[in-house]
Amino acid sequence: MTAAETERDGVRTIEAGAVPARFARGWHCLGLSERFKDGRPHTVDAFGAKLVVFRSGDGRLNVLDAYCRHMGGDLSRGTVKGDEIACPFHDWRWGGDGRCKKIPYARRVPLRARTSAWTTMDQDGMLFVWNDPEGNPPPPGVTIPRIEGATRDDWTDWVWHETLVAANCREVMDNVVDMAHFFYVHYSFPTYFKNVFEGHVATQIMKGLSRPDARPPAKEGRPGMLGNTSVAAYHGPSFMIDDLTYHYEGMDIDCVLINCHYPVDADSFVLQSGIIVQRNERLGSAGADEMAVRLGAFILKGFEQDVEIWKNKARVDNPLLCEEDGPVYQLRRWYEQFYVDAADVAPEMVERFEFELDTTRPVGAWKKEVEENLARRAAAGGGTA
Amino acid sequence: MTARPDERLLDGPPMSPVRCRACGAAVRARKASWQQTSIQWSAEAVETCLERRASVPGDGPNGDLFPACEALRESIVRAALDGELPVPDDAGDG
Repeated sequence: MTAAETERDGVRTIEAGAVPARFARGWHCLGLSERFKDGRPHTVDAFGAKLVVFRSGDGRLNVLDAYCRHMGGDLSRGTVKGDEIACPFHDWRWGGDGRCKKIPYARRVPLRARTSAWTTMDQDGMLFVWNDPEGNPPPPGVTIPRIEGATRDDWTDWVWHETLVAANCREVMDNVVDMAHFFYVHYSFPTYFKNVFEGHVATQIMKGLSRPDARPPAKEGRPGMLGNTSVAAYHGPSFMIDDLTYHYEGMDIDCVLINCHYPVDADSFVLQSGIIVQRNERLGSAGADEMAVRLGAFILKGFEQDVEIWKNKARVDNPLLCEEDGPVYQLRRWYEQFYVDAADVAPEMVERFEFELDTTRPVGAWKKEVEENLARRAAAGGGTA
Repeated sequence: MTARPDERLLDGPPMSPVRCRACGAAVRARKASWQQTSIQWSAEAVETCLERRASVPGDGPNGDLFPACEALRESIVRAALDGELPVPDDAGDG
């Protein structure tokens, strides 16, 4: 469609091409690794396929296409036998490398007895798989950074949630650059917002205030929340690590928040959140655990707010932006690198781009709105203002 | 799914060349207002940047992030003040 057609009668048209036919190249987290380590096969619907995840006798976590190449039996309904997964249909045994190792009733394994296997990584309590439509291994340097707190005693364990979302996963990516939705959808109050895209990493730096109009006042004796500082980076197409500090009266609480997903198919994805909280003297040991659970529930609520938008919205390839919006087009240009062959990654997809937003006007408008909300609440005798 | 151009670059000021006064790195920058800044680096500019080369990774999982070059930031402000980098007239704080 030409620009002239788009602007016929001055009416802006929403344009949306087909969703991509392939799934992003990169590391994807399938969840906490512990839950896959019970010696049973697990079914995971991902990358338009059904996968089987199992721990073999040697302790390794393996991910294969779940459908047995023999007669199509579902390996994820089978049994782990030694280092192999045995098909429930005819007991064909498949190794973590994707090769059929044994057919107990056959003299020999046929040629071509090889199925799709995904490279796995068990790191900081999470299971990752490398997805590449071209079938290449992860290049050096394309890694998921270590999260020190995840293995330290002075941090809590992961509080993890997952939810199935009926939308293409580009919707969740757009949040990286979408400052204003944090105010309107998540009831937070950004005051500083900057993005940096470089290589396979997309970062969002955000500072914010708490919203007195959106939450009940702090209970007697409990410190009130003042705001937060967040440095959140997608390391590849699906795994965001948020180095997040909540500022309270008289103390800071340091957290690491994971916001990650894997595509189920072109029109749905599993959205996951994980949080760990650093223990400190003010918080106490049990206090940190309680805080992690509370924050985990809070983040989950945030996801529900997003989902409510996504399930009703239109897909838009040509969003209409004001100058107080973030770099949506440049983010999508960065995101495109994961959907083309490695040889076709263009310089502009990976070259460093910075965008610092002017928050003057949004902050002014939002202060006014918060004050109006508080005044309305006081007038209604809410008793909390 | 090819990336489309940001229409704001057509309707408002375009990305314009700016050179860092400290190291000479050539980038393209844009200011939609005095407080807003976009910077498009090239691989060559990243290699040239002195602050970038001198930077050391910080703590934490996102510690590899190089948040900004201060010398470049100042160079962009100077270019805007000198009128080399256009800043829209109506982009005050009002």
